[in-house]
Amino acid sequence: MAASRAFQPSSSRRDFLKTAATAGAGVAAPYVITSKALGDATTPPASDRIVMGGIGIGNMGAGDQGAFLGMKDVQYVAVCDVRTRWREEGKKRADQRNGNGDCAAYVDFRELLARDDIDAVHIATPDHWHAIMTIAACRAGKDVYLQKPETLTLREGPLMVSAARRYGRVVSGGSQRVLDDYRGIVNPCWAGEVGTIKELDIAVGGPSMPCYLPAVPTPPDIDWELWLGPAPQQPFNPGRCDGNFGTGGGSWRSYIDYSGGSLTDWGAHHFGGAIFAADLRELQPSKVVYHPAANGHPAYVSVEYPNAVSIHHNRPHPLRPEKPSVAHGDAIRIYGDGVKREAKAVPLYRNGVGSIYADFLECVKSREKPFRDIELAANTMMSPHMIGIAYRLERSLEWDRQTQAFKGDAEANRLVDRARREPWII
Amino acid sequence: MAIDPKSLDAPFTALAAFDWGGDVQPLAAIDAAVIASHGDAALRADLEKRLADLLGGKAPSAAKQYACRKLCLIGTAGCVPALAELLGSKEESHMARFALQQIAAPEAAAALRKALGEVAGDLKIGMIASLAARRDAESLPALTALVSGDSTVAAAAAEALGMLGTPEAAAALAAAKTSGVAAEAVVDARLACAEASAKAGKKAEAKSIYESILKAVGEAPATHRGRAVRMACQRGMFAAMEG
Repeated sequence: MAASRAFQPSSSRRDFLKTAATAGAGVAAPYVITSKALGDATTPPASDRIVMGGIGIGNMGAGDQGAFLGMKDVQYVAVCDVRTRWREEGKKRADQRNGNGDCAAYVDFRELLARDDIDAVHIATPDHWHAIMTIAACRAGKDVYLQKPETLTLREGPLMVSAARRYGRVVSGGSQRVLDDYRGIVNPCWAGEVGTIKELDIAVGGPSMPCYLPAVPTPPDIDWELWLGPAPQQPFNPGRCDGNFGTGGGSWRSYIDYSGGSLTDWGAHHFGGAIFAADLRELQPSKVVYHPAANGHPAYVSVEYPNAVSIHHNRPHPLRPEKPSVAHGDAIRIYGDGVKREAKAVPLYRNGVGSIYADFLECVKSREKPFRDIELAANTMMSPHMIGIAYRLERSLEWDRQTQAFKGDAEANRLVDRARREPWII
Repeated sequence: MAIDPKSLDAPFTALAAFDWGGDVQPLAAIDAAVIASHGDAALRADLEKRLADLLGGKAPSAAKQYACRKLCLIGTAGCVPALAELLGSKEESHMARFALQQIAAPEAAAALRKALGEVAGDLKIGMIASLAARRDAESLPALTALVSGDSTVAAAAAEALGMLGTPEAAAALAAAKTSGVAAEAVVDARLACAEASAKAGKKAEAKSIYESILKAVGEAPATHRGRAVRMACQRGMFAAMEG
């Protein structure tokens, strides 16, 4: 990766602990051995802790940072954000936890990745940065906790998996809800009580839309060029880059250059929970069926898996079975044949830890695959991405897992990935 | 439902003046026509020509971006000259590639290769990225010539050779004289070539690449990066032997 390549200092982590000084936009500070660094009865010494930094530190990034700051085996040393406010607030939170002012603050993620003392990063930027940053982090030898939705295009998933596997990195996707919120449907499915699952309904918003918001003067507290990164050059507008969770306009989650919309945003949770419950995480859809609007019902899309399981996105009420076998509100409805099957053990977080964040840290130490390993996350995200493409084209599609391409549809294959703005390349 | 091309006159007139913050409502008719033109060669050719013509005029950048997005989906060799005209423009180059990268016609690759020799800096990296995404084997000589020294262009060219993953690309990377950021990119690209060789059953070639990188990395790399590269070689060699 040309422009996202991180320059590697020659010093080792322990050298750094002796002489720490950060580069570039970072806040340089002499390293002093404190009691916190040496550890105590409840905190491991610094040399045994996982040294972490965070990239994209507002909104969900702040939440992720808070979770990692709460872990005793994390030494949190750096934040990175293109927005001054998020950057300063992130540094403040880390400094408060560390009891010093040493947390470095960067505008450019490449400077953070260049620090050899950092073992792992968490990333919670808008989605258009996820693949570039994750691959760069893997190449720099960092483990990665990556907020959902992990991918913006279908092609990005295999590239991220390849980078993680090639460099032996632990890369965890970041949907804390998949295991924590959906146990009510996961447990009976894995216990075999639902029987053979044939259909699922997911109710969540639709795909993202183009953004043509007007230009307004770019405020001084954002590096707009770096915010856009690989996305098309467009003028600053606060509604374009606001990190709020809305998807109807006025947030980056609404717009196609930065997000798949609600379909992949909340969809990452709902599809994640449903696909986990139905044990489809190892699979990829083989068919995408577009159902045109008819009889007063809006259009909807279904994906079919090779094992004959179908997931319907926003199937209208009258067209779906009245009573699901199990449900999570109206968001996820799962239909089984009710014939009791052999129970399977539900995959849980490693060592019985209580959160996806702790699961990631356990795997950083053990080098095992995390609960939402990037390959499972990428597979999961394929369903909403394919559904989004079918909505755009208003037709059904077939997917060839072997070639990672749609069968016999050249236009659909033009939407498998997109050209990134120079100088970004993956 | 058949679309009368005449009904698109007004929306295209609106598009020609469309700027950031403008009314998107008139564009909905063009959106619908693009989708409806699937399987309708005449309508598609009409749409492609109108969109390409707009690129050559004085339409605002928002209008040109819109046109490029649509040509990304329906463009053929017919619109390549109009897109190619934009490749040297700092403001429009990316969106021209946005379409050209996806147009399968060989004319699109030829336009990108031509621009590669004409533009500099980040725009050159853009051409490299799009040619690499197309796995354009004809770019090999140009890419090989660029992998030299310590620059982001050299790093991008190395990356592209890795994406090609052919024996010729691997040989070009092995012979490259690079330093700094480009040298790192060469290592990553060679790892990609080794994996491609192993996948193609050329285990000896893969092993040779891994051994060469391992020798350079050393027994006990001091950095995370060095250890990750060493691990990549060891895992790759093991996988090649297993496979």
